[in-house]
Amino acid sequence: MSRRRRVVAAVLLVGALVACAERPPSGEVTLVFKHARILGPADPIPRLLREFEAAHPGVRVRSEALPWTSDEQHQFYVVNLEGRRPGFDVLMLDVIWVPEFARAGWLNDLSDRVGDAERAAFFPSAMTAAAWDGRVWALPWNMNVGLLYYRADLLAKHGLRPPETYEELVDQVRRIRLAERDPALDGYLWQGKQYEGLVVNVLEAFWANGTRLLGEDGTILPEPARAADALRFLRGLIEANVSPAWTTAADEELTRRAFGDGHAIFLRNWPYAMELFEAPGSAVRGKVAFTSLPGRARGAAGAGSTGGAHLAVSRRSRHPALAVALARHLTSQPAQRAIALGAALSPTRRDLYHDPELVRAHPGMPRLDGLMLMGRPRPVTPAYLLVSSTVQPEFSAALVGVKSPERAIADARARLGYFLEAIR
Amino acid sequence: MTRREAVNRRRGVLLVAPTVLALGTLTVYPGVWVLWLSLQHRIPIFGVSRFAGLDNYAFLAIDSRFASAAATTIIFTVTSVALEVVLGVAAALAIHAQRGGRRVALSLLLLAWAMPAVVTAKLFEWLYHPTAGLLNVALGGHALNWLGDPHLALPAVILADVWRTMPFVAVLCYARLLAIPPELYEAAQVDGAGRLATLVLITLPMLARILLVAILFRTLDALRAFDLMFVLTGGGPAGTTETITVYAYRALFQTLQLGFGSALGVVVFVLVMAVAWAYLRLLRTSAVTA
Repeated sequence: MSRRRRVVAAVLLVGALVACAERPPSGEVTLVFKHARILGPADPIPRLLREFEAAHPGVRVRSEALPWTSDEQHQFYVVNLEGRRPGFDVLMLDVIWVPEFARAGWLNDLSDRVGDAERAAFFPSAMTAAAWDGRVWALPWNMNVGLLYYRADLLAKHGLRPPETYEELVDQVRRIRLAERDPALDGYLWQGKQYEGLVVNVLEAFWANGTRLLGEDGTILPEPARAADALRFLRGLIEANVSPAWTTAADEELTRRAFGDGHAIFLRNWPYAMELFEAPGSAVRGKVAFTSLPGRARGAAGAGSTGGAHLAVSRRSRHPALAVALARHLTSQPAQRAIALGAALSPTRRDLYHDPELVRAHPGMPRLDGLMLMGRPRPVTPAYLLVSSTVQPEFSAALVGVKSPERAIADARARLGYFLEAIR
Repeated sequence: MTRREAVNRRRGVLLVAPTVLALGTLTVYPGVWVLWLSLQHRIPIFGVSRFAGLDNYAFLAIDSRFASAAATTIIFTVTSVALEVVLGVAAALAIHAQRGGRRVALSLLLLAWAMPAVVTAKLFEWLYHPTAGLLNVALGGHALNWLGDPHLALPAVILADVWRTMPFVAVLCYARLLAIPPELYEAAQVDGAGRLATLVLITLPMLARILLVAILFRTLDALRAFDLMFVLTGGGPAGTTETITVYAYRALFQTLQLGFGSALGVVVFVLVMAVAWAYLRLLRTSAVTA
């Protein structure tokens, strides 16, 4: 164990990150809650922590901010959790890290503390992402799902209904642009830059085409022909100018801004964008609606990829029972309501989507419920980051046309084969 | 050897010892350790640790992503260093020829050099913005897909790098220009040398040694290039801006494959050492002939 630790410390070149857990005054327990800074009108976390302290006399909760970027957060955890005493008890995790951290032995097994009734209160996709090896390792905290935004005003003007398949979407783009004669009006915006967002977009294209990135038995790209077909379809969107050429450099914000400026008919993005489209001064205020991502005419129905954050308890926490209680408190219904009101993060509990107070603040919530319910998690595997970072350049190569989709899929499979073999 | 010489020698060893010790622990030890890691399948968080022999290197030999990263690294290094040297010398000559405002010109030049790479990258991200970018507006509304086109992305990153580091070359050259004795130019004038002849026969040869040093520094930096492409393109599209260092980062820090990542690190190390050695030889021979 100490050898392992030395390796990580030496190679990551991170020296003095040994967190010195402070010694609490006699009788008082300090829990440390590590999480990303919350953006939004009002940070609800401090109040939630004081509530917990009031309910647990003698317990103090200190909240500590994680670094800004997802990469840095992941590195922070890896360096600190591999050490003897991590210096925090409850940790916020990106959903895609849960199986990795569980397999590394860093998380407390919560299976016996979370009953069936409690599990059923969360969206199935969020619960799936919290489980690995048949056990539950984290509690879903907030959530995201891929959506199709559309210009309701333009569709209504041309007598069109929101598309259910991509084929319909392409047809609507042609018709609207032909009639509008606006050269600055793009058709369908999505994220094609070489990064995690590209994997999310390609996964959604795979699902719509009835295939997946990781098979039930762990095989990579089990149906290469279908996967290649999905990539070819995405490439075709760019070639046919349904999506602009710069899609291959586009991330969430780039596409959100272009659509928000009124320069596109359709957009694939996360729920957060709606708030910004409806903000005072927005060029598309009152003109935007969202629906589920389209399916394919001869494929499956559309489903958005889910993301978000979970709360887990460090296995080396000195107060596991209290830490679990804190994680439960923060993921409870009242806490998630407060977070949804103060920070505009979408809850992971279904019933909140019909909560009168929340619906008043966010009228789109009941609609979002059905879409979250249909959402699918990215592959739940300890090797997710490895899989994602290996397929990214291949998917990108197929999108920009320097490789045929078949070649890209074959290369991705070959490279992953070598890397995954080492993990077995 | 006299007694005095022996004492001197012993004292010399003693004085050098701390440096050797520090270098040994700070560079040799980790270096050997990385070499050892590269011969293993090692993923500590999953408890994977087994000897792999040359497996990682054998895989690199057939890995198209590595081949692409190596090519990108070399193209990036050669092109950006060449442009930096040409533009840097030109800028130094221009400032040197200027009568007033030299200080302002130098400060402006240094501004680009002083900026953190990530800030530069963000700046260029806006310049290259596909719809609202200044560059596309300046090109008369041509919607060039700077960072999303596999043929444009690397030139775009190189341009940003040249903008950022050309001042380094310029300032070094400018300092050297100030030290060239004016009598040389006067003599040349008397001999009837024109502007071009003066430049080629006097100025450039006088700059040669300092340029060699500048090129050495810039080449070693460029071979390890990471931050600009990491922020601007993340290595995309299609991996066309992914250098070996970016690939190594992904393996070591993102996916924690310490064995495979170390093999990539060793390749960068060997590349850098080979280039440094070649330059140092060149410097030494030029010192002998000069």
